[in-house]
Amino acid sequence: MFEFISPLFLSLIVGGTMVGIIFGSIPGMTATMAVAVCLPLTYSLGLENGLALLLGLYVGGISGGLVPAILLGIPGTPSSITTTLDGHPMAQRGEGERALKIGIVASLAGGLISLLVLYLFAPALADFAIKFSYVEKFLIIFFALTVMAALSSDMLMGIFSGFLGIFIALIGSYDISDGGNGKYRLIPPGTEYWLDGGFSLLPVLIGLFGLAAILDQAELGVPKGHSANDVKVTKANKFSLSVFRGQKTNVVRSSLIGTFVGILPGVGGSAASILSYTNAKTFSKNPENFGKGEPAGIIASESGNNGLTGGALVPLLSLGIPGDSTTALLIGAFTLQGIQVGPLFIGNSPETWNAMIIAMLIANIAMFIMMYFAIRYFAKIVTVPKHLLFPIILMMCVIGAYTINYGIMFDVWTLLIFGIFGWVATKLRLEIAPFIIGFILGPSAEVYFVKSLESFGDLTIFVTKSWIAVVLWLLIIGSIAGSVMISRKSKTRA
Amino acid sequence: MNFNRRTLIAAASAAAFASAPFAASADGLPRNVRMVIGSTSTGGDTYQNSAIVAEALSENLGINIKVDAVGSTEAFKALNRDSRGSTIMIFHDQSYLGNLYGRQGYDDPFANYVVGPTVAINPGNAYLVPADSPYQSMEDILTAAENGERVRVAIQPGGVSEIGFSAMKNAARVRAPGSEENIVAVNTGSQSDKNQAMWDDLADVINGSIQANEQFTQLEDGDDKAMRFVWITARDATLGQAPEAGMGGTTRDDMLAYASPETSVTLDGTNDFTFDKEFFFLFNPDMDPAIIDQIDTALAEIYAAGDIQERQKESFFIPNFLPSAEATAHLTDKRDTYADVITAIAGN
Repeated sequence: MFEFISPLFLSLIVGGTMVGIIFGSIPGMTATMAVAVCLPLTYSLGLENGLALLLGLYVGGISGGLVPAILLGIPGTPSSITTTLDGHPMAQRGEGERALKIGIVASLAGGLISLLVLYLFAPALADFAIKFSYVEKFLIIFFALTVMAALSSDMLMGIFSGFLGIFIALIGSYDISDGGNGKYRLIPPGTEYWLDGGFSLLPVLIGLFGLAAILDQAELGVPKGHSANDVKVTKANKFSLSVFRGQKTNVVRSSLIGTFVGILPGVGGSAASILSYTNAKTFSKNPENFGKGEPAGIIASESGNNGLTGGALVPLLSLGIPGDSTTALLIGAFTLQGIQVGPLFIGNSPETWNAMIIAMLIANIAMFIMMYFAIRYFAKIVTVPKHLLFPIILMMCVIGAYTINYGIMFDVWTLLIFGIFGWVATKLRLEIAPFIIGFILGPSAEVYFVKSLESFGDLTIFVTKSWIAVVLWLLIIGSIAGSVMISRKSKTRA
Repeated sequence: MNFNRRTLIAAASAAAFASAPFAASADGLPRNVRMVIGSTSTGGDTYQNSAIVAEALSENLGINIKVDAVGSTEAFKALNRDSRGSTIMIFHDQSYLGNLYGRQGYDDPFANYVVGPTVAINPGNAYLVPADSPYQSMEDILTAAENGERVRVAIQPGGVSEIGFSAMKNAARVRAPGSEENIVAVNTGSQSDKNQAMWDDLADVINGSIQANEQFTQLEDGDDKAMRFVWITARDATLGQAPEAGMGGTTRDDMLAYASPETSVTLDGTNDFTFDKEFFFLFNPDMDPAIIDQIDTALAEIYAAGDIQERQKESFFIPNFLPSAEATAHLTDKRDTYADVITAIAGN
């Protein structure tokens, strides 16, 4: 039953996880890139060993994103955005190591819970997932968009920023790969050559979070002694598992949200951490602390995005449909070996199924051990003088932007444009977090909204389609009401 | 500033190093070649095919070839920028179908680029119905359209996915003019969207593929996800080269039953419409023709050796090497046929 376990199998998982962590830790490099780079190697490794490598890369890549998110304030992957919101403020007040360890433990929990769900319920969940039509998928995206209000310090400005993000995300063509008509829209005249595909997500992300922060710091200048001794790590802010006291519900809820979002093809990994974060904030006793360095925010975000790893494999292995961009590459590994994935895969290929589960389990444990014990060295990055650190970050951002779509120079310009935009935007009191959430979710919201209307006729379908739609509306209303209450409470306190 | 011998040697070395990527090998192709493809997916059939061909060419020519999945728009831009031969492209019939369907970003590849050798076929393009559909065959579907019944077909518009749909409409037009209006498109995106359109009862027929949908045809009766093939668009001569065991629970003979001539979707009342998804090279129009000859020669040697065919068949591709001149003639004929089909149903 477990003949596939060999020293090579184990070392490929561990090696893959390590490389994945490195990819995830570099702004602009992602788990998807790590898997893409190593995919051709799997042909000579055989299916089980090849999958061991790729799943290690997948788990490591998703997990590694928390490192730059927390230490540099640059999300290593789009699904780490909400980790940045609380992780980076913690790092800035000297709790970088603690924030990283909280994130790693939460990642492990998310990964293992989703793996358990995958192992026990994959076929049943796939049957449930196909009940989500365009309408329900739109409502999920809409629900995630409500986080824009919750993340705003000035609600009106935050919502405006979010809508601006959606608007800018829609520049380009209404892609036929989404069922659109392929026509250009919102492109300023004369820029069609560059903007026909719109702005790419990762360059926008690292521009807004990475370059804008560097420009902010450059504006301030580097005061004498402003480096290694800025950040003090004291006993009071050391990591202890007690931080998870009272967070069990948050961990389980966020992991399940991540898993659930993963099983819905086309919703996207970023929605997993955003939804987990929104829920954690809505149900928190101290929602006003979110965005200022609240450990519960990191726990929600990281257990949510690692929860995605098992979830995204559900439609892949039960329907032959990838749950996210990284699992789409895994199909390539199967095809290279002449193996079909679809509804009969688990029953027909028990050995491969077991190998994948074992590989995911070991990859999660390896990720935890490697990151937990290496973290003190990672954390030292905040002690590197900024005049040395920032040029290196800038270089990594440019390389990441250039390579993310396999060598498109306009992506580097995108990085620079949005870096400057991010720097100016904060001076205009625009809010970056709602902006980027609008930018990420806007295109999916558009597609599912338009397709819902094309398919079902009129707006009433959003309420009448199914009981799932009704439940989602209740969650949306709850989230909006919660945001309004939090905003009023903050104003009263002020 | 003093220039001593060491400085000059260092400068010459640096210059040689810097120019290495652009230096042509003995036969014309640069040492480092970027193969752009018309897909952004590194898990899809275009990437797999290109990776197989790139690896074989690299070995044969002793150069480095890197496959970049930049997508059609960026791939054409990259190809336009570079006439030195350091950027070449592999794509499939979408390259001219996009142009025929008037998609933005698709110039006529025959007029604006040089069409190079074909390398393989993906024979999997197929149409499916739900397992409990009243339609047992394409004949049933076309008869239903003739009888005024509306048949909804889920496709991704503007290319490979749409051409079979256009052929269905054309067949309906040939059989009973006016009935083509009863075959309507449901525009969706990915394969997942097309499947979902079927499960949501938004489509009666969906475009799919043998590779992606075969297992759904093996599900037990009563399973809501179960499907049936009604049409495989590949030529019988193409499918005949597939492994006898076929794929999953569908043998090659089973597949042939869904393809012409056993399943007929007429082109003009006499011949059947067929469509093979063929992968081929595209080059910058100003590139040195000697480089195209070099690639043709190398591929001829590679296919003569035979290993690449095994590799392609393992991934359910049908090897299909045609040198540039033959490939251009073949693909031009193919394009003209499909242009006629699209023109015939225009406005319906």
